[in-house]
Amino acid sequence: MINGLDPVIHTPKRLAAMAVLANSTTASFRFLRNYLDISDSDLSKHMSALEAAGYVHSAKDGRGRGATTTFKLTRDGQKAYNAHRDALRALLDGPSPEDLPQD
Amino acid sequence: MENDAREQLRILERAEAAPYISYPPTPRWYAPAIGAWAAAFIGAFTWWRENTPLFAASLAGLILLELVFVTWMQRRHGALPMPGRGRPPAEIGRVWSRYFVGLLVVCALVGLAWWRIGVAAGAATAFVTVTAGLAYYEYCYAQAAAEVRKRLG
Repeated sequence: MINGLDPVIHTPKRLAAMAVLANSTTASFRFLRNYLDISDSDLSKHMSALEAAGYVHSAKDGRGRGATTTFKLTRDGQKAYNAHRDALRALLDGPSPEDLPQD
Repeated sequence: MENDAREQLRILERAEAAPYISYPPTPRWYAPAIGAWAAAFIGAFTWWRENTPLFAASLAGLILLELVFVTWMQRRHGALPMPGRGRPPAEIGRVWSRYFVGLLVVCALVGLAWWRIGVAAGAATAFVTVTAGLAYYEYCYAQAAAEVRKRLG
């Protein structure tokens, strides 16, 4: 953690995926792939990393060629995303007057 | 560091808006179908006192149909946004606020027609107001989504 920023989410593609998931009930593999404009294997890698961190839950529906994978943000994922978002805002807003050294 | 944070926030803002503005075109039958569903829901109350099993079965069937419809919508959209979850863009938030006010007006009109005239009038009012209201909402939503797309570039 640097300045409250989460290294797992900090990658732009993962951050964007988390932002999409934070604003939808679930997101399909196809929606994320099209929005992020990356290959299937790239998306799989990013989503696996988020899943390994406990931020995302995946579910497979159906079998074979018609199978669809959907992703959902976990409670920990929601917390991590909000914390990362707040940390980014804090970085831009600068330190609060209380944080500054007093003379 | 600050530039990086600024870039990350830009990515974040665009991605947060994506579920609200990237959606397949709404089919023409959507508004009248939901209007018909609302009318059927009110119409089911015809059997409320006359035939309880039929009334319960009608409501259960309609609720099941709604669940199937929402599942289909979710699959079709790919990332369906939901009020109360996430941060909708301000333009969409305004449309949603008006939607809920409109919903209250529709409920009041349906209730009034039902109370003053009867179940059939309530069902007819539900069909007309829900169909017209949804069609207007879809139009406003499309306008708002276009504004968001333009703003975010």
